[in-house]
Amino acid sequence: MKILIPVDGSASAQRAVEYVIKYIPSLKDAPQLLLLNVQWNVAKGNVKLFIKHETINEYYREQGNAALRSACEALDAAGLTYQYHISVGMPADAIAQYASEQGADQIVMGRQGQGGVKSLLLGSVVKKVLQLAECPVLLVK
Amino acid sequence: MLEIIATSQFWVDVLKIIMIDLLLSGDNAVVIALACRNLPPDQRRKGIFFGVGGAIGLRVILTFFAVSLLSLPYLKLVGALLLLWIGIKLILPEKEHSADNIRADSRLLGAVKTIIIADFVMSLDNVLGVAAAAKGNVWLLVFGLLVSIPLIAWSSQLVLKLIDRFPFIIYAGGALLGYVAGEMLIGEALLESLVEVHHYLHWLIPVCCATLVLAVGRWLAMRRIVEPEVIDLVDVTVISSLPDQLHSSQNKSQGES
Repeated sequence: MKILIPVDGSASAQRAVEYVIKYIPSLKDAPQLLLLNVQWNVAKGNVKLFIKHETINEYYREQGNAALRSACEALDAAGLTYQYHISVGMPADAIAQYASEQGADQIVMGRQGQGGVKSLLLGSVVKKVLQLAECPVLLVK
Repeated sequence: MLEIIATSQFWVDVLKIIMIDLLLSGDNAVVIALACRNLPPDQRRKGIFFGVGGAIGLRVILTFFAVSLLSLPYLKLVGALLLLWIGIKLILPEKEHSADNIRADSRLLGAVKTIIIADFVMSLDNVLGVAAAAKGNVWLLVFGLLVSIPLIAWSSQLVLKLIDRFPFIIYAGGALLGYVAGEMLIGEALLESLVEVHHYLHWLIPVCCATLVLAVGRWLAMRRIVEPEVIDLVDVTVISSLPDQLHSSQNKSQGES
C-alpha cells in the first residue's frame, strides 16, 4: 500500500503526517510512504530571461526542503522508511499527477494548508485535489 | 479633489487600476529575490534594498514618460494596439522561454543591474495599462503607482494563488485591458470627429475591444496544448532508522529537468 502525504510545512500538514505515523501500526503490512512538496511555479516566462535555470531550481529545492523538514524529522524519529519528492507547478495538479504516477492508494493531507489571505484561499488545494485525484483522499483535521 | 472622489467613475477607475496592477505586476519580486541569492549574506540585504528602490524609481519615471508620450498624436493608437496584445497575452498560457546566456553575477552591482533591466522589461505592460486606465488623471496615476509598489517588493505568489482559485480573473483582466484599450482609441485625435458625431461609439468601441481580446485570446489558447506542467525537481528515498540520511542524501537528488 502506498500512502502519499503532500506537505507544505504548515501545522495542518504536520498533523496529517502524525496521523499516518499513529495509524501505521494498525495496518497488516507497513505501507510505502511518499512525501511530496509542491513549489509554486513563480519563476515563469520573463523571469527565466534574467535568472539562471540553476539558480531558480536551487531556490525551489531550498524552499522545498524547508517545507519538508518537519515531516521528515517526524518520520525519522518514528524510524520509518519513506521517499520525499519536490515538484514545481500548481499544487493540486502536481499532487494528483504524482499520486497517479506513483500509483498511490491513498492521499492523506491536512485540511488547510498555508494561505496568505486565508479566508479567500482557504482549502483551495484540497478542493482541487478532491476533484482531480483518482484515489481516496483522507483529510486530517 | 473632493468632488472627484465622490463620483462613481472615480471608484470604477480605482478598481480598474488595482486589477491591472495585480495582473500585470510582473515577476519583479521573484527576480529581486533570485538575483540576490548568489550575493554574500551581508550584501544581500543591500542588493534587495537597491533592487526594490531602483525598480520603484524606474516605474515612476516610466509612468510619467508613458503619459507624456501618449499625449502625442497617433501614439494613442499604437498604445491601444499594444494594450490589446497585452490583454491577449494575459489570457494565453505561457510558452517557456529559456535563456542560457546569463552570467551568474555574484557582485552587488551585477545583481542590481540584472534587477533594473528585468524591471524595465517587465514594467512596460503595467505602466502602459495604468497610464491608459488613469486617462491623464494625476491622482489616479499616483494611486496606481502606490498600489504597484508593495507588489514589486513582495511575493507574487498571491497573484498565482488567486488565479489558481479563481481562473476567471484572467479573462476579466483580459477584457478589462481590451476595454481600456478601446477607451484609449476614443481619445485618439484621429477619431475625435467621428466619435463626436456618433456618441454611441463611446461605449461601443471599448466593448468591441474587450470582446476582441476575449475571442482572440480564447481562440489562440485553444490552439495551444493546455496541459498544466509539473516539473519533478527532487526525488529521494530515505531508508529507516538512519536519521542523518536526510542531510547526506541531498546530493543524490535526481529527476531534475
